[in-house]
Amino acid sequence: MHNNYRQELLQNRLFVSGLILAVLLALAALFAPVLAPHDPYDMSFAPLSGPSVEHPLGVNDGGMDILSELLLSLRNSVSFGLVAAIAGLFLGVILGLVAAWYGRWIDHAIMQLANILLALPNIMILILTAALFRPSPLSLALLLAVISWPTTAKACRAQALILKNRLHVQEAKRLGAGGAYIIGRHLLPELFPLYLVGFAAKARAAMLMEASLSFLGLFDPGHKSLGIMINYALKFYYLDVWWHWLAPPVICLALMMTTVTIIAVSLEGVFDPRLRESWQA
Amino acid sequence: MAVSATHKKTIRGFIVAYGLASLVMIYLSYRLPLFLPGDFTSAMYGGSHVVLTLEQESDHRRLYAETGGFVGYLADLASMRWGYSYAFRAPVSRLILEALPWTLLLAGSAHLLSMLFGFVLGVEAAWRRGRWFEKRLLGLMSILQGLPEIVTGIFLLFVFALLLQWFPAAGATTAYANLQGWEWIINGAHHLVLPLTTLVLSYFPGNFLLARGSMVLILKAPFTETARAKGLPPFRIRYAHAARNALLPLVTRFGLRLALLVTGVVVVENIYSYPGLGTLLLNAIGKRDLPLIQGVVLFSSLMIMLVNLLLDISYRWIDPRVTYAQ
Repeated sequence: MHNNYRQELLQNRLFVSGLILAVLLALAALFAPVLAPHDPYDMSFAPLSGPSVEHPLGVNDGGMDILSELLLSLRNSVSFGLVAAIAGLFLGVILGLVAAWYGRWIDHAIMQLANILLALPNIMILILTAALFRPSPLSLALLLAVISWPTTAKACRAQALILKNRLHVQEAKRLGAGGAYIIGRHLLPELFPLYLVGFAAKARAAMLMEASLSFLGLFDPGHKSLGIMINYALKFYYLDVWWHWLAPPVICLALMMTTVTIIAVSLEGVFDPRLRESWQA
Repeated sequence: MAVSATHKKTIRGFIVAYGLASLVMIYLSYRLPLFLPGDFTSAMYGGSHVVLTLEQESDHRRLYAETGGFVGYLADLASMRWGYSYAFRAPVSRLILEALPWTLLLAGSAHLLSMLFGFVLGVEAAWRRGRWFEKRLLGLMSILQGLPEIVTGIFLLFVFALLLQWFPAAGATTAYANLQGWEWIINGAHHLVLPLTTLVLSYFPGNFLLARGSMVLILKAPFTETARAKGLPPFRIRYAHAARNALLPLVTRFGLRLALLVTGVVVVENIYSYPGLGTLLLNAIGKRDLPLIQGVVLFSSLMIMLVNLLLDISYRWIDPRVTYAQ
């Protein structure tokens, strides 16, 4: 069944173009320290100088090389999204499966908690915490995971409730298998498509959140991030620097978000049978 | 009978969840500042640009020493004592109420327009399914959906405010212009164009995809066939019979999209210096004015939750199938 999906995904043009872009961005993020021509924190260059051979995108107001800054920012923004998505997915899957398998008061407690978290506006909690404590990006990513698991948990729980009544699961239970074994051996692998869809959606939301929060100035001002770069460059719009200072992070952000969105949308299109019907012409 | 009983039960469930959620939010807003190092006053204004006189400082200490715990905080909130902003020299509640109409205008019109555009375009696209134009539109929307407000906002700001200078780059009305009546409204509308377009551009592709998706399924339903068989004009089949059913998913998804819209509004207000709650929050953060940050965050969270609660209740009322499905 999974092979079938893989083939279908690889024939989906939207997904393949998203995947190629994602690989390129991932390589740029992964090898940012090697690719960067200078140390992004080195402030010894002539401030506000235009592009040259040594500084392909010029130098910013603080005397830092913009290309190196851009690469490190991309790396930071991508890793924020990945950390938040992985942690959120992990929490969501575990809690959703536990709720579905054990049922009764455990299910009630987890779902009540999920409903409360779903009602809370995530961004407001992040803004409040960031404004009060100035936490590191890693702690903010983990905090985002802690408040954004319920969507995944609900989707996993709904599917697991159907699986729970299948014969092979019931048989395993009758043979005396424990809850942890059944969840790990029978429920977890079967819901695989849900993880892909959930992961893409979560990574997209987290990257958007990181870009917004950093653009709004809620991160440590020394931190490198696409949002912070845009925020700083925007202050110098009246100088003729926008095309090599403001435009690159904006384009980079647009590219990054489009890539994740394309992947998220095409994954949903392949795995959600309702959508599938409407996408195929 | 049984249905109306479960209906009431789910509504009560929603009210409980949202009630608890707002209590959690109020508690966070009350408790988190207490974790700051040192006492609240020095933590707040120690690293800030606001310098307090000795008198203000002792006033402030007294204000925060006197709280009667969480219950006292709740009572303060209920009686509109949301604190005093030393950065703006005004009560927090007044600042919030001054900024609120602009945010409501921006977010409300963005929501209505993107709903309308998304819906009509989605319905028309589903009707013309498979044609060249529809395929291109679908691809364009999928890409547009991914662009964050920061990107579209800066692009529009650059092209239409700085290069072409068709629209003003900042504010909600021209400052010190003392316009009256119609002139004031036109001036406001002129300032609204760019921020509104930015929000609509990043918000309506989602609505389009959703409306199109449900419409495609609806057009295959037997009742649409019946409408066709009766020989009704295509426009009536599309809108009077089919499209009204595609409206429901748009309403139900609004709650989920509200969070995105709020993030977008904060960013867009910041790009265009629009004097709404988002800009107020940003100024407060820039000046480390904690009572104001706390006030705006809490106020907007409570508003978002109220809207979500009303939506959750109302779409059970709009679409009875939602209740039957549970």
